Amino acid sequence: MDPDRLKMALASTSATAEGEIESPRVAEVQIHLKTEDGKLFLYLPTAHETLLDWPDLLQELQKQLDAGQRFWPPNTHVDLVTGDRLLDHRQLQMIVNALSTVKLHLTRLHTQRRQTAVAAATSGYSVEQQSQILPMAQSTIAQFALDAEQKEAEPLYIQTTLRSGAEVRHPGSVIIIGDLNPGSSVVADGDIVVWGRLRGVAHAGASGNDKSRIMALQMEPTQLRIGEWVARAPEADPDQFYPEVAYVAAGGIQIARASDFSKNVIQS
Amino acid sequence: MGRIIVITSGKGGVGKTTCSANLGMALAQLNHSVALIDADFGLRNLDLLLGLENRVVYTALEVLAGQCRLEQALVKDKRLNDLVLLPAAQNRNKDAVTPEQMKQLAYALTKKYDFVLIDCPAGIEMGFQNAIAAADEALIVTTPEISAVRDADRVIGLLEAHHVKTINLIVNRIRPAMVQANDMMSVQDVQEILAIPLIGIIPDDEKVIVATNRGEPLVLSENFSLSGLAFKNIAQRLEGKDVDFLDLDAPYDDIFSRLRRFFRR
Repeated sequence: MDPDRLKMALASTSATAEGEIESPRVAEVQIHLKTEDGKLFLYLPTAHETLLDWPDLLQELQKQLDAGQRFWPPNTHVDLVTGDRLLDHRQLQMIVNALSTVKLHLTRLHTQRRQTAVAAATSGYSVEQQSQILPMAQSTIAQFALDAEQKEAEPLYIQTTLRSGAEVRHPGSVIIIGDLNPGSSVVADGDIVVWGRLRGVAHAGASGNDKSRIMALQMEPTQLRIGEWVARAPEADPDQFYPEVAYVAAGGIQIARASDFSKNVIQS
Repeated sequence: MGRIIVITSGKGGVGKTTCSANLGMALAQLNHSVALIDADFGLRNLDLLLGLENRVVYTALEVLAGQCRLEQALVKDKRLNDLVLLPAAQNRNKDAVTPEQMKQLAYALTKKYDFVLIDCPAGIEMGFQNAIAAADEALIVTTPEISAVRDADRVIGLLEAHHVKTINLIVNRIRPAMVQANDMMSVQDVQEILAIPLIGIIPDDEKVIVATNRGEPLVLSENFSLSGLAFKNIAQRLEGKDVDFLDLDAPYDDIFSRLRRFFRR
């Protein structure tokens, strides 16, 4: 490891006083799409699970669809899971429009709200009210029970460039094919792998797991965080870039060349 | 059907309105019919830059309120017949219109005009949402400063989320001498972050200020200016022509600066 890169490790400080990092809680549920038993489910967080209002939520959905569209064959049918979120005709139509831009079709809606069920039924979608099959869609209590059972969600694999202002939160590992531009951030409970340039903020092991790692082809972060640790990048840019891995060693976050890292750290 | 192009930047003061005025003029000079929409409600400037301030009678708001017809509100340019301006209201704010209404206006104009250019306000709030609602294409204007580039990056992300797929970059106010001396971000540096196709590089030019104050866009000027030429080239690229970029570095690329750069490494 060259000396410049070492400084980064020295610059890293434990997140001194607790609460200094305004503890980015991943418990905030994001919109996510998930394949289960060959069916594609779209989970819409309920009003008390997210801070996003409707326009932001819709924009978030659009982004996720764009980032993942390569992974679903065209004309895939989608089940929408809304829990106790209230949706009217117009909002439902907006979701359908968003889905259709990536050639997905809404077929079924799972909800706990009668009005939402009525809105969906009159628009011609099949409806499942109070579905027992999908604990994710149930109360937050059920959600936490599920979380406890299964510590981390399956990895989130997205193909996109995260531009300034974009944020990805995921209760598992995140794999990004593309760049993280300055001003963007990724917060993951697991590892973060960036197949591209990492220039934004990356927080791995956000629920407190120091064993998490951040990997990037080109590591020029604004800030790296792993568990409770924070590190800044060195002031001077290095002349050359290699794929690198950031991990927590005694005293802070360290960065190693990927080729050295696999030799020294993974095997030991 | 005309093309609807929004000119936007995120950050204020990087030259959106100047670009709108000059590109509108340049396209009109190339014998296209052009409608410029000022979407900066409450802070309108485009009429000033075009020198049309005293001809504004109705604004977009009156059209939407049904108080006049669209044709009545369009201000014809005094120099070029093919250019019209749809002014914004000055006494209202950005919430006075909705994205749906902006779409109606822009679509109505595409029926008669080859190009509908929308001058977007700074920021990413309602005014921005209105301006981009109807657009199929966007021109991002940025200056070679990290703050402008950061905002441009954010705006590109928002445009992508709104499915504006054709997004081109204009780097404004570049100073080749400063770039050579490594005191300014180069166009390559900007492009590396934004990663969208480049459609124009405009050098910093004092003549722009003069032109703005006179209400005479630079592209109309009889006298040659590099920045005026840069605008004309962008207009041609918008037409789909392949025009080489200006070599702004040429006057600075002598043996000394080469040596200096060599030793700096």
